[in-house]
Amino acid sequence: MNIDVFILFFNATFVTILSCVIVLGILRKQYLPVIKEEEKKQRDTSGISEQESEVKGEDKA
Amino acid sequence: MIIGIMVAVLIFYVAVGISLVKVVKNEDDFYIMGGRGSTLLIVGTLSATYLSATTLLGIAGQSYTEGPLVISALGSFGAWIGTLLAVVYVGRKMKAYGSTTMPDFFDKRFKSKWVSVIAIIIMIVGLIGYGVIQFIGAGIVLSEVTGIDYRWIVILFTLAMLAFTAIGGMYGIVVTDTLMFFTMLTISIVIVPLLIGQAGFDQMRGLADTLPGYWSIAGTEDRHIGWSISQFLVWILFFACIPALVSRVFPAKNDFVILKVAIIGVFFAPFMQLTVFIAAAAIRVLDPNITDPDYAMVSGFLDFTPPAIAGIGLAALMASIMSTASTLFVLVGFALSRDLYERLFDKKLDSKQSLSAARVGQIIVGIIVCIITIMRPSAIYWISIYAGSIFAVGWLPTIVASFEWKRMNSKAAVASMLIGVISFVALGEIFRQGIIVPPEGIDELMIALVLSVASLIIVALLTQPKEYELESYYDMKSNSMAKITINEYLSKPDGLVKIKKEYKQIQITAVVMTIIAVAVWGYFFVMLGL
Repeated sequence: MNIDVFILFFNATFVTILSCVIVLGILRKQYLPVIKEEEKKQRDTSGISEQESEVKGEDKA
Repeated sequence: MIIGIMVAVLIFYVAVGISLVKVVKNEDDFYIMGGRGSTLLIVGTLSATYLSATTLLGIAGQSYTEGPLVISALGSFGAWIGTLLAVVYVGRKMKAYGSTTMPDFFDKRFKSKWVSVIAIIIMIVGLIGYGVIQFIGAGIVLSEVTGIDYRWIVILFTLAMLAFTAIGGMYGIVVTDTLMFFTMLTISIVIVPLLIGQAGFDQMRGLADTLPGYWSIAGTEDRHIGWSISQFLVWILFFACIPALVSRVFPAKNDFVILKVAIIGVFFAPFMQLTVFIAAAAIRVLDPNITDPDYAMVSGFLDFTPPAIAGIGLAALMASIMSTASTLFVLVGFALSRDLYERLFDKKLDSKQSLSAARVGQIIVGIIVCIITIMRPSAIYWISIYAGSIFAVGWLPTIVASFEWKRMNSKAAVASMLIGVISFVALGEIFRQGIIVPPEGIDELMIALVLSVASLIIVALLTQPKEYELESYYDMKSNSMAKITINEYLSKPDGLVKIKKEYKQIQITAVVMTIIAVAVWGYFFVMLGL
Protein backbone atom coordinates (compact mmCIF):
# COMPACT_ATOMS: atom_id res chain seq x y z
CA MET A 1 0.00 0.00 0.00
CA ASN A 2 1.27 3.47 -0.92
CA ILE A 3 0.85 5.49 2.29
CA ASP A 4 1.23 8.85 0.50
CA VAL A 5 -1.60 8.02 -1.92
CA PHE A 6 -3.68 6.91 1.08
CA ILE A 7 -3.05 10.29 2.77
CA LEU A 8 -4.18 12.13 -0.38
CA PHE A 9 -7.51 10.31 -0.73
CA PHE A 10 -8.07 10.19 3.04
CA ASN A 11 -7.70 14.00 3.12
CA ALA A 12 -10.16 14.39 0.21
CA THR A 13 -12.71 12.20 2.03
CA PHE A 14 -11.99 13.80 5.40
CA VAL A 15 -12.77 17.33 4.19
CA THR A 16 -16.25 16.28 3.00
CA ILE A 17 -16.94 14.46 6.28
CA LEU A 18 -15.62 17.47 8.24
CA SER A 19 -17.97 19.84 6.38
CA CYS A 20 -20.91 17.50 7.10
CA VAL A 21 -20.03 17.26 10.81
CA ILE A 22 -19.71 21.05 11.14
CA VAL A 23 -23.00 21.70 9.32
CA LEU A 24 -24.90 19.03 11.28
CA GLY A 25 -23.42 20.51 14.48
CA ILE A 26 -24.73 23.96 13.51
CA LEU A 27 -28.18 22.49 12.81
CA ARG A 28 -28.23 20.68 16.14
CA LYS A 29 -27.02 23.67 18.16
CA GLN A 30 -28.77 26.58 16.45
CA TYR A 31 -31.90 25.11 14.85
CA LEU A 32 -33.01 22.07 16.87
CA PRO A 33 -33.73 23.99 20.15
CA VAL A 34 -35.86 26.50 18.19
CA ILE A 35 -37.77 23.73 16.41
CA LYS A 36 -38.51 22.01 19.75
CA GLU A 37 -39.53 25.28 21.39
CA GLU A 38 -41.86 26.19 18.49
CA GLU A 39 -43.40 22.71 18.53
CA LYS A 40 -44.03 23.07 22.28
CA LYS A 41 -45.62 26.49 21.70
CA GLN A 42 -47.88 25.05 19.02
CA ARG A 43 -48.89 22.13 21.28
CA ASP A 44 -49.65 24.52 24.13
CA THR A 45 -51.66 26.78 21.83
CA SER A 46 -53.65 23.88 20.37
CA GLY A 47 -54.18 22.50 23.92
CA ILE A 48 -55.56 25.85 25.10
CA SER A 49 -57.88 26.16 22.10
CA GLU A 50 -59.16 22.61 22.71
CA GLN A 51 -59.90 23.50 26.35
CA GLU A 52 -61.67 26.67 25.23
CA SER A 53 -63.86 24.78 22.78
CA GLU A 54 -64.70 22.22 25.51
CA VAL A 55 -65.68 25.04 27.89
CA LYS A 56 -67.84 26.63 25.18
CA GLY A 57 -69.50 23.26 24.53
CA GLU A 58 -70.33 22.86 28.23
CA ASP A 59 -71.72 26.41 28.37
CA LYS A 60 -74.04 25.69 25.45
CA ALA A 61 -75.23 22.47 27.10
CA MET B 1 -11.98 24.86 -35.00
CA ILE B 2 -10.16 26.25 -31.94
CA ILE B 3 -10.78 29.88 -32.93
CA GLY B 4 -14.43 29.02 -33.65
CA ILE B 5 -14.84 27.57 -30.14
CA MET B 6 -13.22 30.63 -28.55
CA VAL B 7 -15.47 33.06 -30.45
CA ALA B 8 -18.58 30.96 -29.67
CA VAL B 9 -17.70 30.86 -25.94
CA LEU B 10 -17.15 34.63 -25.80
CA ILE B 11 -20.37 35.39 -27.72
CA PHE B 12 -22.31 33.05 -25.42
CA TYR B 13 -21.18 34.83 -22.24
CA VAL B 14 -21.77 38.27 -23.80
CA ALA B 15 -25.33 37.16 -24.64
CA VAL B 16 -25.86 35.94 -21.06
CA GLY B 17 -24.58 39.30 -19.78
CA ILE B 18 -26.91 41.29 -22.03
CA SER B 19 -29.88 39.13 -21.03
CA LEU B 20 -29.38 40.28 -17.42
CA VAL B 21 -30.08 43.95 -18.25
CA LYS B 22 -33.71 43.71 -17.16
CA VAL B 23 -32.99 41.57 -14.09
CA VAL B 24 -30.56 43.98 -12.39
CA LYS B 25 -32.79 46.85 -11.24
CA ASN B 26 -30.92 48.40 -8.31
CA GLU B 27 -27.58 48.42 -6.48
CA ASP B 28 -28.71 45.57 -4.21
CA ASP B 29 -29.15 43.35 -7.29
CA PHE B 30 -25.75 44.51 -8.58
CA TYR B 31 -23.77 43.90 -5.37
CA ILE B 32 -25.42 40.79 -3.87
CA MET B 33 -27.96 39.75 -6.56
CA GLY B 34 -30.72 40.92 -4.24
CA GLY B 35 -29.92 38.10 -1.80
CA ARG B 36 -31.66 35.62 -4.11
CA GLY B 37 -28.83 33.11 -4.63
CA SER B 38 -30.07 29.50 -4.66
CA THR B 39 -27.99 26.48 -3.65
CA LEU B 40 -27.27 25.62 -7.30
CA LEU B 41 -26.09 29.14 -8.15
CA ILE B 42 -23.90 29.56 -5.05
CA VAL B 43 -22.36 26.07 -5.42
CA GLY B 44 -21.74 26.89 -9.10
CA THR B 45 -20.06 30.22 -8.49
CA LEU B 46 -18.02 28.93 -5.52
CA SER B 47 -16.74 25.89 -7.44
CA ALA B 48 -16.00 27.84 -10.63
CA THR B 49 -14.09 30.45 -8.62
CA TYR B 50 -12.19 27.73 -6.78
CA LEU B 51 -11.01 26.04 -9.98
CA SER B 52 -8.79 28.82 -11.27
CA ALA B 53 -6.72 28.92 -14.44
CA THR B 54 -3.69 28.09 -12.26
CA THR B 55 -5.13 24.65 -11.48
CA LEU B 56 -5.58 23.74 -15.15
CA LEU B 57 -2.21 25.16 -16.26
CA GLY B 58 0.52 25.67 -13.64
CA ILE B 59 -0.40 23.14 -10.95
CA ALA B 60 -1.53 20.54 -13.51
CA GLY B 61 1.88 21.06 -15.15
CA GLN B 62 3.64 20.55 -11.82
CA SER B 63 1.61 17.36 -11.30
CA TYR B 64 2.69 16.22 -14.78
CA THR B 65 6.40 16.70 -14.03
CA GLU B 66 6.77 16.05 -10.27
CA GLY B 67 3.72 13.88 -9.52
CA PRO B 68 0.09 14.55 -8.55
CA LEU B 69 0.70 14.45 -4.78
CA VAL B 70 3.29 17.25 -4.52
CA ILE B 71 0.74 20.05 -4.28
CA SER B 72 -2.51 18.17 -3.69
CA ALA B 73 -1.73 15.96 -0.68
CA LEU B 74 -1.11 18.87 1.71
CA GLY B 75 -1.27 22.19 -0.21
CA SER B 76 -4.66 21.57 -1.81
CA PHE B 77 -5.88 19.94 1.41
CA GLY B 78 -5.26 23.29 3.11
CA ALA B 79 -7.20 25.03 0.32
CA TRP B 80 -10.20 22.70 0.80
CA ILE B 81 -10.33 23.35 4.54
CA GLY B 82 -9.77 27.07 3.88
CA THR B 83 -12.74 27.05 1.48
CA LEU B 84 -14.90 25.41 4.16
CA LEU B 85 -13.87 28.10 6.69
CA ALA B 86 -14.48 30.87 4.13
CA VAL B 87 -18.07 29.70 3.67
CA VAL B 88 -19.19 28.44 7.05
CA TYR B 89 -17.24 30.80 9.35
CA VAL B 90 -16.01 34.03 7.71
CA GLY B 91 -18.64 34.47 4.99
CA ARG B 92 -21.55 33.35 7.17
CA LYS B 93 -20.64 35.74 10.01
CA MET B 94 -20.04 38.68 7.66
CA LYS B 95 -23.36 38.10 5.89
CA ALA B 96 -25.19 37.97 9.23
CA TYR B 97 -23.64 41.37 10.00
CA GLY B 98 -25.17 42.76 6.80
CA SER B 99 -21.94 43.11 4.80
CA THR B 100 -22.23 43.35 1.02
CA THR B 101 -18.46 43.41 0.41
CA MET B 102 -15.54 42.49 2.67
CA PRO B 103 -14.28 46.09 3.07
CA ASP B 104 -17.91 46.88 3.98
CA PHE B 105 -17.44 44.62 7.04
CA PHE B 106 -14.35 46.53 8.21
CA ASP B 107 -16.21 49.82 7.70
CA LYS B 108 -19.24 48.70 9.73
CA ARG B 109 -17.19 47.07 12.48
CA PHE B 110 -14.76 49.96 13.18
CA LYS B 111 -16.07 53.11 11.45
CA SER B 112 -12.40 54.04 10.95
CA LYS B 113 -11.14 55.56 7.70
CA TRP B 114 -7.63 54.24 8.39
CA VAL B 115 -8.82 50.64 8.74
CA SER B 116 -11.04 50.95 5.64
CA VAL B 117 -8.31 52.50 3.46
CA ILE B 118 -5.65 49.94 4.47
CA ALA B 119 -8.12 47.06 4.02
CA ILE B 120 -9.10 48.31 0.54
CA ILE B 121 -5.45 48.79 -0.53
CA ILE B 122 -4.62 45.25 0.65
CA MET B 123 -7.59 43.92 -1.32
CA ILE B 124 -6.86 45.79 -4.54
CA VAL B 125 -3.14 44.91 -4.52
CA GLY B 126 -3.83 41.31 -3.49
CA LEU B 127 -6.54 40.70 -6.07
CA ILE B 128 -4.72 42.40 -8.94
CA GLY B 129 -1.50 40.54 -8.14
CA TYR B 130 -3.35 37.24 -7.85
CA GLY B 131 -5.76 37.72 -10.77
CA VAL B 132 -3.71 39.57 -13.39
CA ILE B 133 -0.84 37.11 -13.24
CA GLN B 134 -3.28 34.28 -14.00
CA PHE B 135 -4.85 36.32 -16.80
CA ILE B 136 -1.37 36.86 -18.30
CA GLY B 137 -0.37 33.18 -18.02
CA ALA B 138 -3.63 31.88 -19.42
CA GLY B 139 -3.64 34.51 -22.18
CA ILE B 140 -0.17 33.40 -23.33
CA VAL B 141 -1.24 29.73 -23.41
CA LEU B 142 -4.44 30.57 -25.29
CA SER B 143 -2.53 32.74 -27.74
CA GLU B 144 -0.15 29.84 -28.47
CA VAL B 145 -3.03 27.39 -28.91
CA THR B 146 -5.22 29.61 -31.11
CA GLY B 147 -2.50 31.50 -32.97
CA ILE B 148 -4.27 34.79 -32.19
CA ASP B 149 -2.07 37.67 -31.03
CA TYR B 150 -1.82 37.79 -27.20
CA ARG B 151 -3.00 41.42 -27.06
CA TRP B 152 -6.17 40.61 -29.00
CA ILE B 153 -6.89 37.66 -26.71
CA VAL B 154 -6.70 39.99 -23.67
CA ILE B 155 -8.85 42.69 -25.32
CA LEU B 156 -11.52 40.20 -26.48
CA PHE B 157 -11.72 38.54 -23.07
CA THR B 158 -11.88 41.91 -21.30
CA LEU B 159 -14.74 43.10 -23.51
CA ALA B 160 -16.64 39.82 -23.02
CA MET B 161 -16.19 39.98 -19.25
CA LEU B 162 -17.26 43.61 -19.10
CA ALA B 163 -20.51 42.56 -20.81
CA PHE B 164 -21.54 40.57 -17.76
CA THR B 165 -19.68 42.37 -14.96
CA ALA B 166 -20.63 45.95 -15.90
CA ILE B 167 -24.21 44.99 -16.77
CA GLY B 168 -24.88 42.35 -14.15
CA GLY B 169 -22.36 42.87 -11.32
CA MET B 170 -22.51 39.99 -8.85
CA TYR B 171 -25.67 38.75 -10.61
CA GLY B 172 -23.73 38.43 -13.87
CA ILE B 173 -20.81 36.76 -12.12
CA VAL B 174 -22.94 34.20 -10.27
CA VAL B 175 -24.99 33.21 -13.34
CA THR B 176 -22.01 32.97 -15.72
CA ASP B 177 -19.90 31.21 -13.08
CA THR B 178 -22.59 28.55 -12.71
CA LEU B 179 -22.64 27.99 -16.48
CA MET B 180 -18.82 27.85 -16.40
CA PHE B 181 -18.96 25.36 -13.52
CA PHE B 182 -20.87 22.87 -15.68
CA THR B 183 -18.34 23.32 -18.49
CA MET B 184 -15.48 22.72 -16.04
CA LEU B 185 -17.27 19.71 -14.57
CA THR B 186 -17.10 18.15 -18.05
CA ILE B 187 -13.34 17.86 -17.58
CA SER B 188 -13.78 15.82 -14.39
CA ILE B 189 -16.60 13.55 -15.54
CA VAL B 190 -15.88 13.14 -19.29
CA ILE B 191 -12.31 14.08 -20.24
CA VAL B 192 -10.50 12.66 -17.18
CA PRO B 193 -12.09 9.17 -17.50
CA LEU B 194 -11.23 9.20 -21.24
CA LEU B 195 -7.58 10.05 -20.53
CA ILE B 196 -7.28 7.51 -17.68
CA GLY B 197 -8.96 4.88 -19.88
CA GLN B 198 -6.32 5.37 -22.57
CA ALA B 199 -3.38 5.50 -20.15
CA GLY B 200 -4.51 2.70 -17.81
CA PHE B 201 -4.20 2.72 -14.01
CA ASP B 202 -1.38 0.13 -14.08
CA GLN B 203 0.74 2.26 -16.40
CA MET B 204 0.00 5.34 -14.28
CA ARG B 205 1.15 3.52 -11.13
CA GLY B 206 4.18 2.31 -13.07
CA LEU B 207 5.37 5.91 -13.49
CA ALA B 208 6.97 5.55 -10.04
CA ASP B 209 9.31 2.86 -11.47
CA THR B 210 10.79 5.17 -14.09
CA LEU B 211 10.35 8.39 -12.09
CA PRO B 212 11.21 7.65 -8.43
CA GLY B 213 8.95 9.57 -6.04
CA TYR B 214 6.26 10.27 -8.67
CA TRP B 215 3.48 8.94 -6.38
CA SER B 216 4.87 10.45 -3.17
CA ILE B 217 4.28 13.74 -1.32
CA ALA B 218 7.95 14.67 -1.86
CA GLY B 219 7.59 14.13 -5.63
CA THR B 220 10.35 13.50 -8.14
CA GLU B 221 12.23 16.57 -6.84
CA ASP B 222 12.28 15.00 -3.34
CA ARG B 223 10.96 18.15 -1.66
CA HIS B 224 11.40 18.59 2.10
CA ILE B 225 8.29 17.86 4.20
CA GLY B 226 8.65 21.37 5.67
CA TRP B 227 7.88 22.78 2.22
CA SER B 228 4.67 20.71 1.99
CA ILE B 229 3.59 21.80 5.49
CA SER B 230 4.24 25.47 4.66
CA GLN B 231 2.13 24.99 1.49
CA PHE B 232 -0.67 23.61 3.68
CA LEU B 233 -0.47 26.67 5.95
CA VAL B 234 -0.30 29.15 3.06
CA TRP B 235 -3.36 27.69 1.37
CA ILE B 236 -5.53 27.22 4.45
CA LEU B 237 -4.88 30.78 5.68
CA PHE B 238 -5.18 32.34 2.23
CA PHE B 239 -8.39 30.54 1.23
CA ALA B 240 -10.10 31.16 4.58
CA CYS B 241 -10.32 34.90 3.90
CA ILE B 242 -9.79 35.47 0.17
CA PRO B 243 -12.52 37.85 -1.05
CA ALA B 244 -13.11 35.76 -4.19
CA LEU B 245 -14.55 32.93 -2.07
CA VAL B 246 -15.97 34.77 0.96
CA SER B 247 -17.94 37.20 -1.23
CA ARG B 248 -19.74 34.22 -2.81
CA VAL B 249 -21.67 33.75 0.44
CA PHE B 250 -23.20 37.26 0.41
CA PRO B 251 -25.75 36.63 -2.41
CA ALA B 252 -27.07 33.44 -0.71
CA LYS B 253 -30.83 33.42 -0.10
CA ASN B 254 -30.63 32.24 3.53
CA ASP B 255 -28.64 30.17 6.02
CA PHE B 256 -29.95 26.87 4.66
CA VAL B 257 -28.39 27.70 1.28
CA ILE B 258 -25.05 28.52 2.96
CA LEU B 259 -25.05 25.25 4.91
CA LYS B 260 -25.85 23.19 1.80
CA VAL B 261 -23.11 25.03 -0.12
CA ALA B 262 -20.65 24.23 2.69
CA ILE B 263 -21.28 20.52 2.12
CA ILE B 264 -21.70 20.34 -1.68
CA GLY B 265 -19.20 23.08 -2.62
CA VAL B 266 -16.52 21.60 -0.37
CA PHE B 267 -17.00 18.22 -2.08
CA PHE B 268 -16.58 19.74 -5.55
CA ALA B 269 -13.36 21.58 -4.63
CA PRO B 270 -11.26 18.38 -4.33
CA PHE B 271 -13.36 16.57 -6.95
CA MET B 272 -12.62 19.11 -9.70
CA GLN B 273 -9.02 19.63 -8.64
CA LEU B 274 -7.80 16.10 -7.90
CA THR B 275 -9.29 14.63 -11.07
CA VAL B 276 -7.29 17.19 -13.08
CA PHE B 277 -4.07 16.26 -11.23
CA ILE B 278 -4.71 12.54 -11.74
CA ALA B 279 -5.36 13.25 -15.44
CA ALA B 280 -1.96 14.98 -15.57
CA ALA B 281 -0.39 11.63 -14.58
CA ALA B 282 -2.41 9.93 -17.34
CA ILE B 283 -1.07 12.47 -19.85
CA ARG B 284 2.45 11.73 -18.58
CA VAL B 285 1.88 8.09 -19.61
CA LEU B 286 0.37 9.03 -22.98
CA ASP B 287 2.93 11.71 -23.89
CA PRO B 288 6.01 11.89 -21.64
CA ASN B 289 7.76 14.46 -23.87
CA ILE B 290 5.75 17.65 -23.33
CA THR B 291 8.48 20.28 -22.95
CA ASP B 292 6.42 23.07 -21.36
CA PRO B 293 4.37 21.45 -18.56
CA ASP B 294 1.93 24.39 -18.50
CA TYR B 295 0.53 22.93 -21.74
CA ALA B 296 0.07 19.41 -20.31
CA MET B 297 -3.73 19.60 -19.90
CA VAL B 298 -4.23 21.46 -23.19
CA SER B 299 -2.17 18.79 -24.99
CA GLY B 300 -4.28 16.15 -23.27
CA PHE B 301 -7.50 17.75 -24.55
CA LEU B 302 -6.26 18.25 -28.12
CA ASP B 303 -4.26 15.06 -28.72
CA PHE B 304 -6.14 12.37 -26.80
CA THR B 305 -9.85 13.19 -26.95
CA PRO B 306 -12.32 13.40 -29.88
CA PRO B 307 -12.57 16.92 -31.43
CA ALA B 308 -16.00 17.73 -29.92
CA ILE B 309 -14.84 16.81 -26.41
CA ALA B 310 -11.52 18.64 -26.93
CA GLY B 311 -13.63 21.70 -27.78
CA ILE B 312 -15.50 21.42 -24.47
CA GLY B 313 -12.14 21.06 -22.70
CA LEU B 314 -10.89 24.27 -24.30
CA ALA B 315 -14.17 26.00 -23.42
CA ALA B 316 -13.60 24.89 -19.82
CA LEU B 317 -10.08 26.34 -19.89
CA MET B 318 -11.50 29.64 -21.17
CA ALA B 319 -14.18 29.47 -18.48
CA SER B 320 -11.52 29.08 -15.77
CA ILE B 321 -9.69 32.14 -17.11
CA MET B 322 -12.88 34.20 -17.27
CA SER B 323 -14.08 33.06 -13.86
CA THR B 324 -10.81 34.09 -12.20
CA ALA B 325 -10.45 37.39 -14.08
CA SER B 326 -14.11 38.41 -13.82
CA THR B 327 -13.97 37.92 -10.04
CA LEU B 328 -11.04 40.34 -10.00
CA PHE B 329 -13.03 42.81 -12.12
CA VAL B 330 -16.14 42.69 -10.01
CA LEU B 331 -14.52 42.81 -6.55
CA VAL B 332 -12.05 45.60 -7.35
CA GLY B 333 -14.88 47.44 -9.12
CA PHE B 334 -17.03 47.12 -5.99
CA ALA B 335 -14.13 48.45 -3.89
CA LEU B 336 -13.86 51.49 -6.17
CA SER B 337 -17.54 52.34 -6.48
CA ARG B 338 -19.00 51.31 -3.12
CA ASP B 339 -16.20 51.19 -0.56
CA LEU B 340 -14.11 54.12 -1.80
CA TYR B 341 -16.44 56.44 -3.74
CA GLU B 342 -19.72 56.03 -1.83
CA ARG B 343 -18.52 55.16 1.68
CA LEU B 344 -15.14 56.78 2.15
CA PHE B 345 -15.91 59.98 0.23
CA ASP B 346 -19.39 60.00 1.82
CA LYS B 347 -21.28 60.41 -1.46
CA LYS B 348 -25.04 60.39 -1.02
CA LEU B 349 -26.36 58.62 -4.11
CA ASP B 350 -29.86 57.45 -4.89
CA SER B 351 -30.43 53.89 -6.14
CA LYS B 352 -30.05 54.78 -9.82
CA GLN B 353 -26.88 56.85 -9.30
CA SER B 354 -25.39 54.11 -7.13
CA LEU B 355 -26.00 51.53 -9.87
CA SER B 356 -24.43 53.85 -12.47
CA ALA B 357 -21.39 54.44 -10.22
CA ALA B 358 -21.01 50.68 -9.79
CA ARG B 359 -21.05 50.15 -13.57
CA VAL B 360 -18.54 52.95 -14.17
CA GLY B 361 -16.31 51.34 -11.50
CA GLN B 362 -16.41 48.05 -13.43
CA ILE B 363 -15.44 49.73 -16.71
CA ILE B 364 -12.53 51.63 -15.07
CA VAL B 365 -11.19 48.43 -13.50
CA GLY B 366 -11.64 46.54 -16.78
CA ILE B 367 -9.58 49.10 -18.70
CA ILE B 368 -6.82 49.23 -16.03
CA VAL B 369 -6.57 45.42 -15.78
CA CYS B 370 -6.54 45.13 -19.59
CA ILE B 371 -3.66 47.63 -19.85
CA ILE B 372 -1.63 45.94 -17.07
CA THR B 373 -2.20 42.51 -18.65
CA ILE B 374 -1.08 43.69 -22.09
CA MET B 375 1.90 45.74 -20.81
CA ARG B 376 3.05 43.01 -18.37
CA PRO B 377 5.15 45.37 -16.19
CA SER B 378 7.84 43.57 -14.19
CA ALA B 379 6.30 44.94 -10.98
CA ILE B 380 3.23 42.75 -11.48
CA TYR B 381 5.40 39.61 -11.30
CA TRP B 382 6.96 40.94 -8.08
CA ILE B 383 3.54 41.73 -6.58
CA SER B 384 2.25 38.28 -7.53
CA ILE B 385 4.90 36.63 -5.30
CA TYR B 386 3.19 38.16 -2.26
CA ALA B 387 -0.36 38.77 -3.54
CA GLY B 388 -2.02 35.52 -2.50
CA SER B 389 -0.73 35.40 1.05
CA ILE B 390 -1.21 39.11 1.73
CA PHE B 391 -4.78 38.37 2.87
CA ALA B 392 -3.53 35.78 5.38
CA VAL B 393 -1.13 38.18 7.11
CA GLY B 394 -3.06 41.41 6.49
CA TRP B 395 -6.69 40.47 7.00
CA LEU B 396 -7.15 37.14 8.77
CA PRO B 397 -5.99 38.09 12.31
CA THR B 398 -8.17 41.23 12.23
CA ILE B 399 -11.20 39.33 10.91
CA VAL B 400 -11.01 36.58 13.55
CA ALA B 401 -10.37 39.07 16.39
CA SER B 402 -13.26 41.23 15.14
CA PHE B 403 -15.58 38.24 15.41
CA GLU B 404 -14.36 36.85 18.72
CA TRP B 405 -12.66 39.48 20.89
CA LYS B 406 -14.38 42.29 22.78
CA ARG B 407 -11.18 44.35 23.12
CA MET B 408 -10.55 44.39 19.37
CA ASN B 409 -10.36 47.97 18.11
CA SER B 410 -9.33 50.03 15.09
CA LYS B 411 -5.81 50.74 16.42
CA ALA B 412 -5.11 47.03 16.84
CA ALA B 413 -6.50 46.40 13.34
CA VAL B 414 -4.23 49.05 11.77
CA ALA B 415 -1.16 47.72 13.65
CA SER B 416 -1.89 44.11 12.70
CA MET B 417 -2.54 44.86 9.02
CA LEU B 418 0.52 47.09 8.56
CA ILE B 419 3.00 44.98 10.55
CA GLY B 420 1.70 41.78 8.94
CA VAL B 421 2.05 43.02 5.35
CA ILE B 422 5.30 44.99 5.80
CA SER B 423 7.10 42.20 7.69
CA PHE B 424 5.85 39.63 5.16
CA VAL B 425 7.24 41.53 2.16
CA ALA B 426 10.45 42.64 3.95
CA LEU B 427 11.27 39.13 5.20
CA GLY B 428 10.42 37.70 1.78
CA GLU B 429 12.96 40.00 0.14
CA ILE B 430 15.61 39.34 2.83
CA PHE B 431 15.24 35.56 2.39
CA ARG B 432 15.13 35.80 -1.41
CA GLN B 433 18.30 37.95 -1.54
CA GLY B 434 20.01 35.42 0.72
CA ILE B 435 20.84 38.06 3.38
CA ILE B 436 19.46 35.67 6.03
CA VAL B 437 18.69 32.00 5.47
CA PRO B 438 15.52 30.89 7.33
CA PRO B 439 15.48 27.56 9.21
CA GLU B 440 14.24 24.55 7.20
CA GLY B 441 10.44 24.52 6.97
CA ILE B 442 10.04 28.10 8.24
CA ASP B 443 9.08 30.82 5.78
CA GLU B 444 8.20 34.52 5.78
CA LEU B 445 4.46 33.82 5.96
CA MET B 446 4.72 32.01 9.31
CA ILE B 447 6.91 34.71 10.87
CA ALA B 448 4.76 37.57 9.49
CA LEU B 449 1.59 35.88 10.76
CA VAL B 450 3.06 35.55 14.27
CA LEU B 451 4.11 39.24 14.18
CA SER B 452 0.68 40.28 12.89
CA VAL B 453 -1.15 38.38 15.66
CA ALA B 454 1.31 39.54 18.36
CA SER B 455 0.98 43.21 17.37
CA LEU B 456 -2.81 42.89 17.34
CA ILE B 457 -2.89 41.43 20.87
CA ILE B 458 -0.36 43.92 22.31
CA VAL B 459 -2.05 47.01 20.83
CA ALA B 460 -5.53 45.78 21.80
CA LEU B 461 -4.38 45.24 25.40
CA LEU B 462 -2.73 48.68 25.56
CA THR B 463 -5.73 50.56 24.13
CA GLN B 464 -9.45 50.67 24.78
CA PRO B 465 -12.17 49.99 22.21
CA LYS B 466 -14.41 52.96 21.44
CA GLU B 467 -18.04 52.87 22.50
CA TYR B 468 -19.09 52.31 18.87
CA GLU B 469 -16.68 49.35 18.55
CA LEU B 470 -18.10 47.72 21.69
CA GLU B 471 -21.64 48.27 20.41
CA SER B 472 -20.79 46.78 17.03
CA TYR B 473 -19.15 43.78 18.76
CA TYR B 474 -22.26 43.06 20.86
CA ASP B 475 -24.50 43.75 17.87
CA MET B 476 -22.55 41.17 15.86
CA LYS B 477 -22.59 38.64 18.71
CA SER B 478 -26.36 38.98 19.17
CA ASN B 479 -27.05 38.29 15.51
CA SER B 480 -26.47 35.14 13.49
CA MET B 481 -27.55 33.74 10.14
CA ALA B 482 -29.52 31.06 12.00
CA LYS B 483 -31.55 33.68 13.92
CA ILE B 484 -32.16 35.77 10.78
CA THR B 485 -33.28 32.71 8.80
CA ILE B 486 -35.50 31.34 11.60
CA ASN B 487 -37.24 34.71 12.04
CA GLU B 488 -37.71 35.02 8.28
CA TYR B 489 -39.29 31.55 8.05
CA LEU B 490 -41.48 31.88 11.16
CA SER B 491 -42.93 35.15 9.85
CA LYS B 492 -44.50 33.20 6.98
CA PRO B 493 -47.40 30.71 7.10
CA ASP B 494 -46.26 27.12 7.80
CA GLY B 495 -42.82 28.50 8.76
CA LEU B 496 -42.01 25.71 11.22
CA VAL B 497 -42.95 23.01 8.71
CA LYS B 498 -40.63 24.60 6.14
CA ILE B 499 -37.75 24.85 8.66
CA LYS B 500 -38.15 21.15 9.50
CA LYS B 501 -38.21 20.31 5.78
CA GLU B 502 -34.95 22.23 5.18
CA TYR B 503 -33.40 20.61 8.28
CA LYS B 504 -34.22 17.16 6.90
CA GLN B 505 -32.93 18.09 3.42
CA ILE B 506 -29.56 19.17 4.80
CA GLN B 507 -29.24 15.96 6.83
CA ILE B 508 -29.94 13.90 3.69
CA THR B 509 -27.47 16.02 1.67
CA ALA B 510 -24.77 15.36 4.30
CA VAL B 511 -25.32 11.59 4.18
CA VAL B 512 -25.44 11.46 0.35
CA MET B 513 -22.30 13.58 -0.11
CA THR B 514 -20.39 11.49 2.45
CA ILE B 515 -21.32 8.28 0.60
CA ILE B 516 -20.29 9.81 -2.75
CA ALA B 517 -16.96 11.07 -1.32
CA VAL B 518 -16.11 7.68 0.21
CA ALA B 519 -17.04 5.88 -3.04
CA VAL B 520 -15.12 8.24 -5.39
CA TRP B 521 -11.93 8.60 -3.33
CA GLY B 522 -12.05 4.97 -2.18
CA TYR B 523 -12.15 3.86 -5.84
CA PHE B 524 -9.15 6.03 -6.77
CA PHE B 525 -7.22 4.77 -3.72
CA VAL B 526 -7.87 1.14 -4.66
CA MET B 527 -6.77 1.78 -8.26
CA LEU B 528 -3.70 3.92 -7.50
CA GLY B 529 -2.62 3.20 -3.93
CA LEU B 530 -3.25 -0.45 -3.05
